[in-house]
Amino acid sequence: MKFLPFVVKHLRRNWIRTGSTVVAMAVCIFMFCTMRSVLAQIDSMLESGSASRLVSRHAVSLVFSLPLSYANRIQAVPGVKRVATTSWFGGTLPAKKEGKAEEGAEASTDWSNFFPNMAVDADPYFAMYPEFEIPPDQYQAFKDDMRGAVIGRKLATKFGWKIGDRFFLESFIPPYRKKDGPFEFVVRAIYDVDKGKHPGSDSGLMYFHFKYLYEATGRTVDAGSYTVEIDDPSQAGTVSKAIDAQFENTDAQTLTETEQAFAASFIAMAGNLAFLLNSIALAVSFTILLVTANTMSMAVRERRTEIAVLKTLGFSSGRVMGLIVAEAVFLGALGGALGIGGSKGIMWLLTTVPGIRDMLAGLGLSELNLQPAVAAVGFAVAIFLGLAAGFVPAYNAYRSRITDMLRTV
Amino acid sequence: MSAEPNPVAVPAAGAMVDVRNVRKVYRRDTQELTVLDGISLQVPEGEFVALMGPSGSGKTTLLNLIAGIDRPTSGEVVVAGTDVAKLSESELARWRSTNVGFIFQFYNLIPVLSARENVELPLLLTSLSKRERRERALTALKIVGLADRSDHYPRQLSGGQEQRVAIARAIVADPKVLVADEPTGDLDAKSAEEILDLVETLNRDFRKTIVMVTHDPRAAHRAHVQRHLEKGVLTT
Repeated sequence: MKFLPFVVKHLRRNWIRTGSTVVAMAVCIFMFCTMRSVLAQIDSMLESGSASRLVSRHAVSLVFSLPLSYANRIQAVPGVKRVATTSWFGGTLPAKKEGKAEEGAEASTDWSNFFPNMAVDADPYFAMYPEFEIPPDQYQAFKDDMRGAVIGRKLATKFGWKIGDRFFLESFIPPYRKKDGPFEFVVRAIYDVDKGKHPGSDSGLMYFHFKYLYEATGRTVDAGSYTVEIDDPSQAGTVSKAIDAQFENTDAQTLTETEQAFAASFIAMAGNLAFLLNSIALAVSFTILLVTANTMSMAVRERRTEIAVLKTLGFSSGRVMGLIVAEAVFLGALGGALGIGGSKGIMWLLTTVPGIRDMLAGLGLSELNLQPAVAAVGFAVAIFLGLAAGFVPAYNAYRSRITDMLRTV
Repeated sequence: MSAEPNPVAVPAAGAMVDVRNVRKVYRRDTQELTVLDGISLQVPEGEFVALMGPSGSGKTTLLNLIAGIDRPTSGEVVVAGTDVAKLSESELARWRSTNVGFIFQFYNLIPVLSARENVELPLLLTSLSKRERRERALTALKIVGLADRSDHYPRQLSGGQEQRVAIARAIVADPKVLVADEPTGDLDAKSAEEILDLVETLNRDFRKTIVMVTHDPRAAHRAHVQRHLEKGVLTT
């Protein structure tokens, strides 16, 4: 500890260089922690998928729909227990801000309040999702009302909706739009989720009858996908293949996968998100490693005489090496702490600022936060980067002879 | 039978520094450059010796060997009863910290440390408490007449003052031997005189054995003994 002030004083020698290196390191750790947190949140969402549930969707893309006739054919596949039509509606609340509605249709969507909403075959669908706890009387009321909606507790709290409240949604997907305006819904049931048992399940979703969508759009829409429950989770692969085999020679071939894989592919529609984020994190980390190594090399190079003096005074080569490594690690620790703080701050901001918070909620990232484990790994990465960056110049200082270094001007 | 070399050596009677038939050869690729060629030198305890000679004669190399920051190619360098060539790197570092104080031509103070912190540096290697280290550093600064500048940084000091801080750093661990490599080489005449006065005081009042390399005849005259090197050989 008595050498710590010595290490700190050396870092203060060149404020700009030390500061820029710490900021570079902080940016690296900030990105690492933020990306890892997003991925952890996505993983948590994926984990909520049940192994006994499959999703059949169009083999080409989620954008294409499947014929409604597929439901019965999938139901006939051995091992299939239930099938439910499931269509991502993509509905948004029309803006209620004063004057907006009169200004034109384009301005009538309030994206800040976006939340996931789906049209489903209620009975088979909710039978597959026991984690959604719906009071029986409310569920019956939902079933009895074509415009009925089941909403999660989180949504109810957010919008202050209660049973019997009405609201409107308009889809951004053209086939799901009505000529006579937005879809009207009535809150008939509010579901809860036991977070203790099902930590990945979200109570920020809304469901309504597929039949409503079908009828309201003039019976022109097909199924976005099919959610399939199977008897034996261990047979998921076999059943998936059997379903896809049914439609092998049709115009609309299917791709059936587990719910987890489906969720992953849904999230990764714009590319392999996890791979992308990890690649960025890796590239940034490597770049920062080079930047810090360069900084440390410069710092050591310009202090060759001082290192020689330390050795002359009796500092062993190992101790000199330790001081240089400690300096690099200190840089790493400073950058790491700053990056972790920044990451924590940005996540707090994203989940607090009204418009952004709601957008994240729509993507299922409402609980985005910096997990202690991610912060710990981030800090460890910062320390490792400091160690790795400091090792080579420190080792060079370790090996250098006093007389050679004293000759350096 | 142990083949471990025994670093404890018997110097010539009364000699604090005993250099025996030392050769120092530098190899660069296939070329060999003999810098010291069979040098022998005894410096009694409490002696003040000036090493003189033209550039490239091997003065600094000999000084480095005595200070234990370089090793001879052959021969023995016994300082304060220890054959420094037989010590391992870490043993040698420990030995330097307690037995030798080095005064450089260009002071070589650490610019980010205050005068007191610079002087305190060698004491970081001891088990002294922070308070004891501080007291000793201030005592050393008092000896060199800079107690009132203890919080000044090197850039706030004149060349002569910097060299005095460097001397305080050299004596703070109370070494037996002081080696000085042209300690007045970078100073004006007045500052040089002050530094030489100080070195003389350390020799006279504190009984430090001093080996000083210098080009300056005035500095050399302060020493009790002057030795001359020429092409790696002691001539007088």
